[in-house]
Amino acid sequence: MTAVSPDARRIWAAARAPLLIGVVILFAAAVITLLRGTGEGGALDPRSFRPEGSHAVARLLEQNGVRVELTDDASAVDGATLFVTHPNLIAPDRLTELSRRAAATVLVAPAGGVGQVAQETREPGCALAAKAGAATSGGFVYQGEQQCYDSTLVRTGTVTAIGHGAIFTNGELDAEGNAALALSLLGQHERLVWYMPSVADRAQQKSLTDLVPDGWKFGALQLGVAAVLVALWRARRLGRVVPEPLPVVVRAAETVEGRARLYQRSRASTHAAAVLRQAARDRLSPVLGLPAGEDPSDEIARRTSRPVAQVRALLHSEEPVDDRGLVALASELDALENEVRKG
Amino acid sequence: MALTGRAGLLALIGVLVVGLLMPSWQGIFVMLGVVLLCVAVDLVLAAGVRRLTFTRAGATSVRTGELCTVQLTVHNPGRRLRGVLRDAWAPSAGVVADRVPLDVPAGGSRVLSFELRPVRRGDRTADRVTVRSLGPLGIAARQGSHQVPWTVRALPPFHSRRHLPALLERLRELDGRRASLIRGAGTEFDSLRTYVIGDDVRSIDWRASARSSDVVVRTWRPERDRQVTIVLDTSRTSAGRVDGVLGGLPRLDTSMDAALLLSALASQARDQVDFLAFSHKVRASVPRASLPVMVQAMAPLEAELVEFDARGAVSEVLRRASRRSLVVLLTSLEPSIEHGLLPLLPSLAARHRLLIASVSDPAVHAMASGRGDLESVYAAAAAERTLAERRRLTALLARHGVEVVDALPDELPRALADRYLSLKAAGKL
Repeated sequence: MTAVSPDARRIWAAARAPLLIGVVILFAAAVITLLRGTGEGGALDPRSFRPEGSHAVARLLEQNGVRVELTDDASAVDGATLFVTHPNLIAPDRLTELSRRAAATVLVAPAGGVGQVAQETREPGCALAAKAGAATSGGFVYQGEQQCYDSTLVRTGTVTAIGHGAIFTNGELDAEGNAALALSLLGQHERLVWYMPSVADRAQQKSLTDLVPDGWKFGALQLGVAAVLVALWRARRLGRVVPEPLPVVVRAAETVEGRARLYQRSRASTHAAAVLRQAARDRLSPVLGLPAGEDPSDEIARRTSRPVAQVRALLHSEEPVDDRGLVALASELDALENEVRKG
Repeated sequence: MALTGRAGLLALIGVLVVGLLMPSWQGIFVMLGVVLLCVAVDLVLAAGVRRLTFTRAGATSVRTGELCTVQLTVHNPGRRLRGVLRDAWAPSAGVVADRVPLDVPAGGSRVLSFELRPVRRGDRTADRVTVRSLGPLGIAARQGSHQVPWTVRALPPFHSRRHLPALLERLRELDGRRASLIRGAGTEFDSLRTYVIGDDVRSIDWRASARSSDVVVRTWRPERDRQVTIVLDTSRTSAGRVDGVLGGLPRLDTSMDAALLLSALASQARDQVDFLAFSHKVRASVPRASLPVMVQAMAPLEAELVEFDARGAVSEVLRRASRRSLVVLLTSLEPSIEHGLLPLLPSLAARHRLLIASVSDPAVHAMASGRGDLESVYAAAAAERTLAERRRLTALLARHGVEVVDALPDELPRALADRYLSLKAAGKL
């Protein structure tokens, strides 16, 4: 048999090891995910036990008789305290509407700050938070009717803006008067709506995809299926690629070019000039009928009516030459050679 | 297995079905099911590829750049097979069309012809034969490959054979078959014949004329049955690519061309040619070479990245050539000759006459005449340095009684053959 394509048994033999490895990896991933439990834990999440989470403050509020409702759409805010962890993810007009309906609103680091300060412990300096005393504050600085902690906590009407959410986190809650400040801000009413907006909330209106009829959507999906099939058709090669056994071949002039570049880099203009002079002498001697190695200067001077000293200087000088002089010398040697060949 | 364009087309028709009639996941799965069903039907009904048998016949060697034909016979023991076949060769084998449609009846055979025009010298081997057998719907196909070995040897192109008629003409002038035979054109006494007007009076044999009623002249013929040993250097220096009329070729290929022209000429002149290819060991060896045998021996040779072992080569030549012969070494004039070959010359020159033929590089000559800016003048200096080195080596070799032919790639074969003829005319073989 001359067939070399793998049959079913060989395909199975070759594929079972990778398949087994794939199954083991999937199984391990599933087990690890299950053992680690719920991996939820964004910043200021009342379910999160991490340092940046806010389980502690939510628990304190509940012990103090405040009902904490975690939500991601905040539709029932009437008469409650609204706590928005990421106000910048909500459309501004919706935020205005929500805060108008809520009895009190606390926003963490909303847009509209007039500056920024470092996070540190500050004294309140206002009646609003006098009870809480010193607390961790920082982040954005705002302007409003009541300004506390160097303007990082500002209240205008029922809306309170705080420059940074540090006081609500598990990690910072027990420092200074953080807990007192947090409870006084969030525990203003019996009910607390803990609103954690996600990116999708920004665009509450119907998206473009909702407006497209189903026929188009599924048609496009089917088009994708067709594209995959066409790709499979084009991808299958008719036999393997045949490599070309290439012989060792290098450009013969490469070493000469390398030497030229070495001359140039080391600015060996005097040496190059000597080589060019020697070559000119070697070429001219046979033209004049002289044996190789004999100095052709006298004969050249006789034929071209140039002074002997000048010809000799051109062909024999050992004076150092600079780059500019080298280019000039090459042309002068050419001129001399032409004269001799003509004359 | 393999899909065809029809599978994609069927899915494309499915876009209309899904879009207009069933705009849901259900519709997509229905269409996918239809396609998969068709594929399955095709795969089951397509003829098997595994049980096909193949045999090859046709050309086993061809001159590089010329056309030859290799036949592939497909025998199909199963049901009728329709599809396409690809006979894969390496790119330099120059297959004109390696894909052909295939239709073999059940139990029948088909002979397919593939035309090859090798673009590079050497052994070109066939890779795999792949067959794609289409199902009745033409949506999917079974595909499989078979190993059907075959080798076509691409012989050296021997471009310089166009010089051969002119060279043979010159040879005949030497040979006494032409009336214009002159003294000095050969050194072996051939025969006496009567004087005709135009003969050189210096060749009149007075002693024979005295015995005869006519004036008799002596004729001479060139020496015959001499031995010419061609040594081809396949070491690193022969790997250098040199640009000629035919494009960039390694020095090795030009040397081969020159060797072929020389051996064709020498065998016409009734000299015996021995061929030896040498790098650090004997790569090929053809004693009493005829042109076809030599061409076959040369074809698979490639340059190796090793240093030429001059000592080994010289002792090999001395071992083979029992009587005085002309040793033609096709190499490159590089400074390494000075350390390698030069110390060995006395032992070689004592018994043989050595002729070194070297391919010079037109790029270096072009660089040597570069002027104008600094870069070209430095390049000119470097090139002149190389040329001076070659002149020095030539002079050095000449002092040891070695003949040197250093020519551009397009001129080397002719120059070498001319030098051979003038050596022959001077009776120096």
